[in-house]
Amino acid sequence: MPDTDAPLLILNGLCKRFGTLDVLRDISLTMREGEVVGLIGASGSGKSTLLRCINRLETPTAGSVRFQDREITPESVNLDRREIGMVFQRFHLFPHLTALENVTLAPRKVLNIPAERAESEGHALLAQVKLTDKADAYPAELSGGQQQRVAIARALALNPALLLFDEPTSALDPELVGEVLEVMRDLAQQGRTMLVATHEMGFCREVAQRVLFLDGGRILEEGPPEQVFTAPKEERTRAFLARVLNR
Amino acid sequence: MLPDPSQEAFTSSLRTFYVSALPRVGRCDPIFLQLTNLRLWLSLMSIAVLLHCPGGARAQSSLDGIRQRGELVIATDATYPPFEYVDGQKLLGFDVDLGNEIGRELGVRVVWKQMAWSGVLGALESHKCDVIISGATITDERKKTTAFSRPYFPSGQTIARRKGDTTVQRLQDLKGRRISVQEETTGQYALQKLGVPKDHINRFDKLEDGLTDVVNGKSDAAVADLPALKESLRKSYPQLELTGGLFTNEYVGVWMRQREPELRDAINRALGIILVDGRYARLYQAWIHEPLTTGILADLDKNRGAGTATDAEVDRASPQSAPPKTMGGSSTDNSPHFTINSGLIRAALPDLLRGAKLTLVLTALALLIGIPLGLAVALARISPATPLVWVAKIYVEVLRGTPLLMQIYVIYFVLPSLRINLDPFTSGVIALSLNAGAYISEIFRAGIESIDTGQMEAARSLGMTYGLAMRWVILPQTVRRVLPPLTNEAVALLKDSSLVSVVALSELMRVGTELATSKGAPTTIYLAVALLYLCMTLPLTWVVRRLEEKYQPISRPRPRKGAVANA
Repeated sequence: MPDTDAPLLILNGLCKRFGTLDVLRDISLTMREGEVVGLIGASGSGKSTLLRCINRLETPTAGSVRFQDREITPESVNLDRREIGMVFQRFHLFPHLTALENVTLAPRKVLNIPAERAESEGHALLAQVKLTDKADAYPAELSGGQQQRVAIARALALNPALLLFDEPTSALDPELVGEVLEVMRDLAQQGRTMLVATHEMGFCREVAQRVLFLDGGRILEEGPPEQVFTAPKEERTRAFLARVLNR
Repeated sequence: MLPDPSQEAFTSSLRTFYVSALPRVGRCDPIFLQLTNLRLWLSLMSIAVLLHCPGGARAQSSLDGIRQRGELVIATDATYPPFEYVDGQKLLGFDVDLGNEIGRELGVRVVWKQMAWSGVLGALESHKCDVIISGATITDERKKTTAFSRPYFPSGQTIARRKGDTTVQRLQDLKGRRISVQEETTGQYALQKLGVPKDHINRFDKLEDGLTDVVNGKSDAAVADLPALKESLRKSYPQLELTGGLFTNEYVGVWMRQREPELRDAINRALGIILVDGRYARLYQAWIHEPLTTGILADLDKNRGAGTATDAEVDRASPQSAPPKTMGGSSTDNSPHFTINSGLIRAALPDLLRGAKLTLVLTALALLIGIPLGLAVALARISPATPLVWVAKIYVEVLRGTPLLMQIYVIYFVLPSLRINLDPFTSGVIALSLNAGAYISEIFRAGIESIDTGQMEAARSLGMTYGLAMRWVILPQTVRRVLPPLTNEAVALLKDSSLVSVVALSELMRVGTELATSKGAPTTIYLAVALLYLCMTLPLTWVVRRLEEKYQPISRPRPRKGAVANA
């Protein structure tokens, strides 16, 4: 049994190198259960790679990922991923399956939950993301915001302990961003542990307890959103914020 | 091709037909219903009309034409030593020397055209050659639609058996045994007349393949012309021996079109001179390796009437008499004519349908094995396990990079030396499946690799193993994408399956070739064969198109729900 007081996630000295390019340099991070952490930084600063190293879609070059008090290894990763939901920038819904089937696929095939139970749970999850009437729609029949909400429901289907969001609103038309952020806000209020890479500074400020500023693969600055957004210590943070907030 | 204006006209009118008809057929929906539709039949009948285009009346005889061109074009299938064969680049043999002597007598150059046995008659019919000199035996059946010169060689059928196999001694012993022959030769006819069932006669395009079959124990004996058998055994089959002596008396002649008496008379005259002035004796000694006896010459002289009699033909060629059904047209010109003979098609249909059935069964089995095989190979090819990748790569490269014909050949003729003896059907199915598997694996690989990598990542991020993700996320999407290229492969396979005829399987193309030769009407038969192939491929493409539509969930209106999403 994991110690309930122990942190949920501990990254220690995480490095990732693509060829000669250092994408992540010595990242260390601790997250407690129920915490919402915002990950900000320019494109190419390593936000996505950091998330993908946590559930080993990328293999870290060095460093360790401790999750629920155990190291994530290549052998354990299939089990760990059941506990780590991921939402992608470009949704990656399964186009040959309906919204409901997208949500129920993992429970049915990974956990072998009977179809009937999986479906009733799936309907509940779709209700949670406010898509009750779209259960039988195929992804191509849904708007971008609806697709991303189905993707969130899919990530929730195994009831994971940690949710990773990889710029979930970046591929959306501006008018569709709100509905996705609203769902994410609900999740935060329910006490979900979330690590959110995003360019939505307003959302970060409002929902996150902590913000990390990533620059050149390093955590350059870290702190409560109030402090990072209003009184950044680093010049680069200030420059970045000036760029994105004045946009 | 001979310079012939009517031939030009024919080709261009055929081209016009294709250009105008094909797009029309392509847009029909559903296509195969068109087969019962009058319009398509009408366009098909228009082929028949186009094909029957008399090329202007020319009173000139073919002999005059040959003299004017200064060349005699002779078709031959150079796979029949000692009569004709190729050594290195050179065409050699008894017939070749004889044909050249005939040309010398006519005062013209001889141009040899080499082609498969199944093609020589079509070449004669379409005036792509003047005569055939290819060890062709004079038969009454052949004389119905074509003509022969006086005999120039006495021949007959005899039996080859494995050395010391005393169960085969004479013709009667062949009943109930499996016998190899060269297809549509007098050997085959003689066995059929004897009452040997057709499926006990293994028909090969080349005599050597038939003999290899006997060596491998798949056939019990081979039947062929004595001189050809003797030569083959002497050269490359020491394991076989002749037995039983001649059981037919046959004569070899120069094969020609009917209603060209001037040409035939000229060739008969030339033969008459060559036979007696010592040239024939030299040829005989050189190629048959025996001295020419006066008995042989006397026999040839006595049976000089075995060819086509000139009188009979002059009668038939008179304007009052009805022209023969399948070849030729008016008696005054000698340009190519093609008429579609529906009675002939009706007579041939049961045999053709039997062939079509075998073609379908072979293709279906090859797909049934080839698709799972191809999928397995594709999965191996993209797997992280390096040895598997290499095995898959080698398999694909070897099978894709060598001719299917060779693969069939190796499985049937070469594997027996490793004590793997497969019957023709099994060999054919295995070869077709292995070959199709290689192509299909590339189709699947390309299909899998075309799926966005995000799909695999999304599935893996849900805790699915590689296998589960493949099974439930990647492959279902792949199948939809590969349906069109897979259909392509299925249609190609259906047609490629005709190559199994090399191991004596009577699929549609083989049956068609046989009928075309024996009935002397290649145009009619081949048109029927083409239609039968269409009858098989069109429903297939239609079914697949329906499948594609069914598997397009994005645009498909779904009736199961009251509230249908907008299209």
